[in-house]
Amino acid sequence: MSFFDTHLLNLVVYLPLLFAALVWMLPGAERGQIRTITFIGMMVDAVFGVWAYLRFDPSGAEFQLEYRTRWLEQLGVSYHIGADGLAISLLLLTVFLGPLVVMASQTYITERVKEFHLALLVLQTVMLGALVSLDVLLFYIFWEAMLIPMYLLVGVWGAEDRQMAAVKFFLYTLAGSLLMLVAIVAIYFISSTPGNRSFDYATIFNNLSTAHSQIAACTGTGGDCSTLPGMAGILYRWGPWLFAAFAIAFAIKVPMWPVHTWLPDAHVQAPVAGSMILAGVMLKMGTFGFWRFAIPFFPSAAHQARPLLATLAVIGIVYGALMCLAQRDIKKLIAYSSVSHLGYCMLGILALTAEGATGSAYQMLNHGVSTGALFLLFGFLYERRHTRLMSDYGGIAKVVPVYTASFLIITFSSVAVPGTNGFVGEFLVLLGTFKSSLGLGFGAFATLGVILGAAYMLWMVQKVFFGPLTHRENQGLTDLNLREFATVAPFLVLVLVMGLMPQPFLDRINPSTERFLQRAELGIPGSQVRPSDVQISVMGLPPAGLAAAPNAPTPGPLADRR
Amino acid sequence: MDLKQFLLQLRLDPSALWLIIALPLLGAFLCGVFGRMLGRANVYLVACAAVAGSFLLSLSAFLSVSPLEAAQAVTMENAFSSGTIRYAFGYDFGTWFSAGTFRVNFGLMVDHLSGTLLLVITGVGFLIHLYSTSYMSHDDGYWRYFAYLNLFVAAMLTLVLADNLVLLFVGWEGVGMASYLLIGFWYSDTAKAWAGRKAFVTNRIGDFAFLIATFLIVLLVSAFNTQATAANFSMVGGNPEAAQVRYREGLQMKGPVAFQGLETMANALHVTPEKAQGGVNLQTPISEGPLEGRTFGGVLTVALLLFLLGAAGKSAQFPLYVWLPDAMAGPTPVSALIHAATMVTAGVYLFSRMSYLLVLSPTAMVTVAIIGTITSLLAALIAFAQDDIKKVLAYSTVSQLGIMFMGVGMGIFWAAVLHLVTHAFFKACLFLGAGSVMHGNADETDIKKLGGVRHEMKQTWFTFLVATLAITGIVPLSGFFSKDAIYHGIHHNHLHGYEWASSVIYYMGLLIAASTAFYMSRVYLLTFEGKRSPEAKIPHAHESDWRMTTPLWVLAILSVVALFQALPLMPGRGGVMQPVMENFLGPVFSSAERIAARGGEVKLDHSVPSIIDYLKAWLVALAGGAAAGFMYLKFFPSRAGQPAPAFARSVRRFTQNKFYVDEAYEFLVIRPVKNVSAILYKLVDTLLIDTVAVRGTAWVTARLGSALRYVQTGDAQAYAAVMALALLGGAVYALILVMK
Repeated sequence: MSFFDTHLLNLVVYLPLLFAALVWMLPGAERGQIRTITFIGMMVDAVFGVWAYLRFDPSGAEFQLEYRTRWLEQLGVSYHIGADGLAISLLLLTVFLGPLVVMASQTYITERVKEFHLALLVLQTVMLGALVSLDVLLFYIFWEAMLIPMYLLVGVWGAEDRQMAAVKFFLYTLAGSLLMLVAIVAIYFISSTPGNRSFDYATIFNNLSTAHSQIAACTGTGGDCSTLPGMAGILYRWGPWLFAAFAIAFAIKVPMWPVHTWLPDAHVQAPVAGSMILAGVMLKMGTFGFWRFAIPFFPSAAHQARPLLATLAVIGIVYGALMCLAQRDIKKLIAYSSVSHLGYCMLGILALTAEGATGSAYQMLNHGVSTGALFLLFGFLYERRHTRLMSDYGGIAKVVPVYTASFLIITFSSVAVPGTNGFVGEFLVLLGTFKSSLGLGFGAFATLGVILGAAYMLWMVQKVFFGPLTHRENQGLTDLNLREFATVAPFLVLVLVMGLMPQPFLDRINPSTERFLQRAELGIPGSQVRPSDVQISVMGLPPAGLAAAPNAPTPGPLADRR
Repeated sequence: MDLKQFLLQLRLDPSALWLIIALPLLGAFLCGVFGRMLGRANVYLVACAAVAGSFLLSLSAFLSVSPLEAAQAVTMENAFSSGTIRYAFGYDFGTWFSAGTFRVNFGLMVDHLSGTLLLVITGVGFLIHLYSTSYMSHDDGYWRYFAYLNLFVAAMLTLVLADNLVLLFVGWEGVGMASYLLIGFWYSDTAKAWAGRKAFVTNRIGDFAFLIATFLIVLLVSAFNTQATAANFSMVGGNPEAAQVRYREGLQMKGPVAFQGLETMANALHVTPEKAQGGVNLQTPISEGPLEGRTFGGVLTVALLLFLLGAAGKSAQFPLYVWLPDAMAGPTPVSALIHAATMVTAGVYLFSRMSYLLVLSPTAMVTVAIIGTITSLLAALIAFAQDDIKKVLAYSTVSQLGIMFMGVGMGIFWAAVLHLVTHAFFKACLFLGAGSVMHGNADETDIKKLGGVRHEMKQTWFTFLVATLAITGIVPLSGFFSKDAIYHGIHHNHLHGYEWASSVIYYMGLLIAASTAFYMSRVYLLTFEGKRSPEAKIPHAHESDWRMTTPLWVLAILSVVALFQALPLMPGRGGVMQPVMENFLGPVFSSAERIAARGGEVKLDHSVPSIIDYLKAWLVALAGGAAAGFMYLKFFPSRAGQPAPAFARSVRRFTQNKFYVDEAYEFLVIRPVKNVSAILYKLVDTLLIDTVAVRGTAWVTARLGSALRYVQTGDAQAYAAVMALALLGGAVYALILVMK
């Protein structure tokens, strides 16, 4: 039992913070050193993150690399972290983007360099923290903390209209989060009796699951369920409201239609690093929240809301794609394409089929890679020309061939050409939707995104790169330099690797998918799932006064069967 | 060791099949990344060597599945039934991706169908690479060109080698991507770059249908797996229970989209309830899942119709053919390889590959045939009035593909494949010939401004003439036999419920044949015969060098000798002699034959055309050619200088503008989508959500705040007044209550 067994995740989460302390001690004029230290910090973090990813055993317990210790005991809070298949995959994505974001900003950011890198490092820590928290209050703290550095990234280092965009982003997200806070507190009181109350994810879920199976049994028979005794009755009445509170918070983050309008503004104004992190990681916090909290906590309410949410997701796919066709601004186009792609992620989750949910999780990774890369590449162009309008470019392929080739490869990944990563995710999501009980219409409409995706991406490529060179200023554009190419190359490699060898990634997601599905099934009226089948087993609190020690992960009923 | 011994020993190990794809892929990588460093000659060498190597491997794979001695026939284990697949071999390279019950493997397979296409793709592909080394010798983007071309070959090989639908789709979209890159090769010309995008997006419409069809097939397979009984598997062979177990194992091992599994399912599906003995038949409703209540046959038909839309995108059939004529913006060798010989035939390949599913649905078959007929006739008519030599050939390709679809739709699969092969030869020859003419005439493509080229470009002239005769269907060239085999099959095969189709489509076919002869003769006469046009760009054409003429000769010879495949030389069933190609492709289409014979939904005929049939077809072709000869050698030259009548001019304008189909699409589809997105953006996104809802909330909050500001003035007197008033009010209220 080495140090790394217990502290690997802690290390991954807090290393950026440690390096932030280092950077903080440097004088602000030492830009080169600040950049180097930040980059090294992110690289080291990436190494540990990959190590954690490799140590994650797909056939093992649900939550692995756990760590738990006493913290704010009076409130029923504990410091509890751990990762399941989805969290560890998103963690990998986050640590992968970290160093690349620093490299991408090397010449882009010239003002307040120290503060910028501090913000990046802190943001990295809180994002990773939100992914691995197994205590709901801890999750909420990280979730809210994400807003601050992101707000600064947009508001301080953004483009001309940055204040407006930053405030919009902040208020939009905060409005949702506060609703979620209310719901978290409510669930804390509902899920247990005085004296036993806890914010621990597993405890809350396990307590609720019995009540949910009672509700499912009751709704299955068609009786009057408002008279159910105890927790089940309360949940039956208030569950939909609480679910709505969670769902709104996460839907804003995703963002789902019609609460998406903060995204184009934030993306357009954000610096390249902000856009990359926003698209790459932060949007997935919304889908992750649905997967981890909203649906498992309130399966029956989720089941009722499923047709509505799935409709919104499909609208998001088609509407986002149509919006792209109406844009003149390249960054806005990419932002709206995110709305479309995240629609696939939501649809996959809501399909409640193994193919759909796995595809959705994979699509989250894909979107992080391909859209992250699109923002990165456009950032290089913006640095050179300082305009985002398509009409200011045109025919630049001859001037910047390497850049064009990279952009084309990422474009093909974004429109999900088979052989690139995008295809596997999109195919699985659509297949899952067709297989689901939602009805064929959802799948058919969602598949329209395949056509529209090609239409708008190639339209943009056409306008920017092809045709005769229309602006004299573009004659002198320089192609990617070595640093820039080194930043893009990992994305290009990953596009192909994830497209041709997706199975290692999917293997880690699949067990999480099955657990998620079973928990969601608990909400179907007349569901046969027993609460004991879906129990989450996590490590207990260490005895008071002792340091936290990981017990061997207790195999739960789910783990027994595989 | 004599040649026969040597050929017998040439056998590719199945596990090396991936090399066939990997070689051109490597070539693409080398040319694309290091092309400029390598220099022109090395790029030529790498690109040609990659395809040549692939050709040799393909040849060896082909010889492995079609050995010269029957005793050496390879067999392949069938993952879905206890039987073996004869004359085929394959290798499974493991999982690509799997989730839930779905799985796709990297499985490659060669049988007589894919073996034939392998040879066409790599063989014609190599010739066109060779041709390109001369054609592109003045272009700076040579390395890009060869990288794309190699990429295309790799994708096309993936398409034909795939042993499941999803891997096939990789090739399917891969060729689309390569085609996009090559059509827009000269991207600094806006029109050419747009043509590339048009091709890709139109193909995507087809791919949309293809994807949905694949999903329906997955659902169908899973429904079949749950509902099928042992009675179904009695037809697969062996012990029914064991066969069912084996089928389930196969599903687990190779997933629901593997062709072997689909074939087993097609074999096990009963056509009518009478013979089903409780097993699943086409009229059985699906019992659970999203397709609940719909019948197996119905879902299958819908899936096949969606595949038809997919194939219409790739193979340029009505209503998605519009991208192909524009695709002529690419370099001419690209048109020859991609838009004539290989990629556009993918739809024919797809339906031939899934012939066993197709014969279960006469409705789908007749739709395929009708779409083929409409496309073929429409394209032939448009070709009458085109003046661009490449455009004529493009429409002629669309038309010929229509003929192949007619054949596939009417169930004469082997002839459709044969026509695919012969068409690859003569159409590639025509395109390369056109390229040679352009090369020798300063890139002039207008046939009105050429003329008399035969004297200056003798080799090009002769090979073009041979290919023209082949496509018009003049004895004894291959085009005549392959086209006539299709027409004969159409006439004699019958689809249950659509008996009228056989003769209607046959006579339409004759009309198409006459039209083909007319417009091809027109192109030939205007380009090569007569006097050189005074509008020509340069006074004298020059013949191209050997790298361009060699492929022409090879292809011209191939378009003659390929005829032997249509000759009835092989012993068939019941002692009747069978055409070579029918015999050769027999194993591939055996399931389709069996299902057709069993169910009675489709009646497949095996007779050989008689001399009378040949004579009829020959006369039709001759009539078309003669009409063109009369018009362009006698009629028009004699009327030179006189104005054409008004109706003739308007008909010509209408035809020249391609019946305004593009304009109709622009008006009906493209503009509405654009306008709807602009309106949605302005109205819903900007106004309704962002301004009214989001900023509205902020505005209301701000107004509310400033209104309430007046409540908190800090003025003690005002506070006291309010308190006093409230107190007074309370007192009055209390008083009223008491008084009551």
